[in-house]
Amino acid sequence: MLRLAFKDLKLFFAEKRSVMLTFAVPIALITLFAFAFGGVGQDKRKARPTRVVVADEDQTLASKKIIAELDSSKELEVSLIAGEQAESAVKKGDEAAVLVLHKGLSDSLDAGKKPPIEFKYDAAKEAEIGILQGALIGKLMSIVGGKSMEKSVIAQIDSENPNLDEATKKLIHQQVSKNLSSGETKKMADNFIKTTALVAEEETSPGLVQAVAGTAIMMLLFSVVSVGASMLDEKQEGTLKKLLYAPLHPNSILFGKMIYANVISMLQLSVMFLYAKVAFGLDIFSHLPALLLMIVATAFACSSFGVLLASIGKTRQQVQGLSTLIVLIMSCIGGSMIPTFIMPQFMQKISVFSVNYWGIQGFYDIFWRSLPLTDTTFLTRILVLVAIGTVMNLIALQMFKKNVLNIA
Amino acid sequence: MNAVEFPLRLKRSWFGVKIGKKKFYLFVMISVSNLTKSYGAAPALKGISFEIKKGEFFGLLGPNGAGKTTTISIMSTLLEPDSGSVKIASFDLKSNPTDSKKIIGVVPQEIALYNELSAYDNLMFWGSLYNVSKSDLKSRIEETLKLFGLFDRRNDKVKTYSGGMKRRINIASALLHRPKVLFMDEPTVGIDPQSRNLIFEVVEKLHREGMTIVYTTHYMEEAERFCDRIAIIDSGTIIAQGTLDELKSLSKISETIVVSFSNFSEDLYQKISSEWAGVTRHENDVHFATSDVKKDLAAMVLKCSQLGLNISHIDIKKVNLETIFLSLTGKQLRD
Repeated sequence: MLRLAFKDLKLFFAEKRSVMLTFAVPIALITLFAFAFGGVGQDKRKARPTRVVVADEDQTLASKKIIAELDSSKELEVSLIAGEQAESAVKKGDEAAVLVLHKGLSDSLDAGKKPPIEFKYDAAKEAEIGILQGALIGKLMSIVGGKSMEKSVIAQIDSENPNLDEATKKLIHQQVSKNLSSGETKKMADNFIKTTALVAEEETSPGLVQAVAGTAIMMLLFSVVSVGASMLDEKQEGTLKKLLYAPLHPNSILFGKMIYANVISMLQLSVMFLYAKVAFGLDIFSHLPALLLMIVATAFACSSFGVLLASIGKTRQQVQGLSTLIVLIMSCIGGSMIPTFIMPQFMQKISVFSVNYWGIQGFYDIFWRSLPLTDTTFLTRILVLVAIGTVMNLIALQMFKKNVLNIA
Repeated sequence: MNAVEFPLRLKRSWFGVKIGKKKFYLFVMISVSNLTKSYGAAPALKGISFEIKKGEFFGLLGPNGAGKTTTISIMSTLLEPDSGSVKIASFDLKSNPTDSKKIIGVVPQEIALYNELSAYDNLMFWGSLYNVSKSDLKSRIEETLKLFGLFDRRNDKVKTYSGGMKRRINIASALLHRPKVLFMDEPTVGIDPQSRNLIFEVVEKLHREGMTIVYTTHYMEEAERFCDRIAIIDSGTIIAQGTLDELKSLSKISETIVVSFSNFSEDLYQKISSEWAGVTRHENDVHFATSDVKKDLAAMVLKCSQLGLNISHIDIKKVNLETIFLSLTGKQLRD
């Protein structure tokens, strides 16, 4: 019995793929998820600063002072954006929210009026907005809210009680100042700062878009791997060799696989979105041209990934092990498992290296942001997907010649 | 006087003359010249050359690793040689591989079929790669399936077929484009007698109709039965080629003395093999290759007696390809 167990252990450790799948893949995934959820890479005693994007349209000393005070806060990290770009940055999904300091801010503060500050946000990113609002509004109120409110309240008390003596006035002013700096101001935040959801809250739920697009792309990647791996089956079963006897250009064998993988991919994505329409009411017909374009581009990029894997691997088993690792990593960093906007900044930066990211963002553009077909952001995502597909296909072609055609 | 036959129907005949039992082929179909090929530092072919005539049945024999498959792979355009050239009909394989491929058919050793497809669909697919029109292809598939006795099972998935049936479809798929040259690499390995006989019948029919066939096999009786000429290849070199009669005369042996012993042991075999050239062991029998059986039989019996071996049975076998091969290479074909 022990000998049998020892033999199996020996076989297990001799098979590098099994060892990789058992140890390296889970370790890699645990690491990725830990990064994605923000639990790694920061001092555990200190909260990670929340990034806030500010558009300063007022450009006065007062507005600059507010920005400087926000930036000096340990909880916040300010990035500036031009006023005219603020709204489109949110609409296109580049930023989750922007704090706009409108013109007249300085005058309003001096006059004790409600300051023209607007918090523009993407309603699809509720989780991220919640964190940002929590960190931002309180701080902002403590910077400008107290002073503005104090002046406003004192002016109102003075005007309504002109007969009060100076000593009583001073006492009242001190009490008002004390009360308004005690944190009570946070309760008034909703009325104090204007909040605007820039992306119209249509019937389509961003969660539904995330679920359909994220899952469909991840499963598509798994599917195309098996399509690509069929090349290796052909190699192992001798049919590839037999194809090479036929009067075909060897590359046409790979092109045939690419076409097959693309057709299956487009079919799979189309069925997924049709299912989302039937089961969850996702409005696919209002966006049909853009949806079809995105399906074609995503299918092209994903299928090329499958073909590339097939051309790199030498056996089906090798391809399956490698592909499981890569698909899970891409799905994790690309937003299939967790929306990218709730990931830390550095994870959001590396998410652009996955096919999932570009596909999911493209479907967000269509269903949530309602970007037109001609919008540059949408077209850029299409172009990136096509570029990814083209590059991977070209590499696959080279690897196919080197690895797969070398069968004698 | 020997009868002389001149083929009149060029399309369906072998391209040669027949004088008595001897065939003489007229036109060169395949010309292999100074072919070399190495895998890394290991040479697989060391400059082999031979010609195969149109309509000829040519056997390529050799033990495993001799270079047979490399030669077939180069001739069927799967591999490029390091140097040397191959011409099939008028096409140089290097400069014109696509046209060459159109006139060759290859029956690989492994059964290369799509198991999930029916026999009919498999043949339809493989035939379509050679630009045969759909109507022609349909009639050829029907004809071929009948020839191989599988017409009734044409719509069954290949995975439900026996090994022999799969082999038949494997061969059928190489014939649909009516190739002028057919390469067959061990086409009868591991099959039932019924399938083997059917394949033999088809192979003989194709040969009669004028197809040039290049055949590799481990079965000596197949090579002896079919091949007009045979090339024996060993360690990347052709060590002999010719008709069976020519090879017999080259090998300088005529018969084999097969001896059984009542007290056979490995030690005694080692002793006798060190004393006698051309000795091989076949289980508990020892084979002595000889060119003069009368002289060598007496000497062999004496030697065995001196070594303490008790002979229980002696048989004399006429020379065959197996013994020729052994004599020329010092190895058995299945080594």
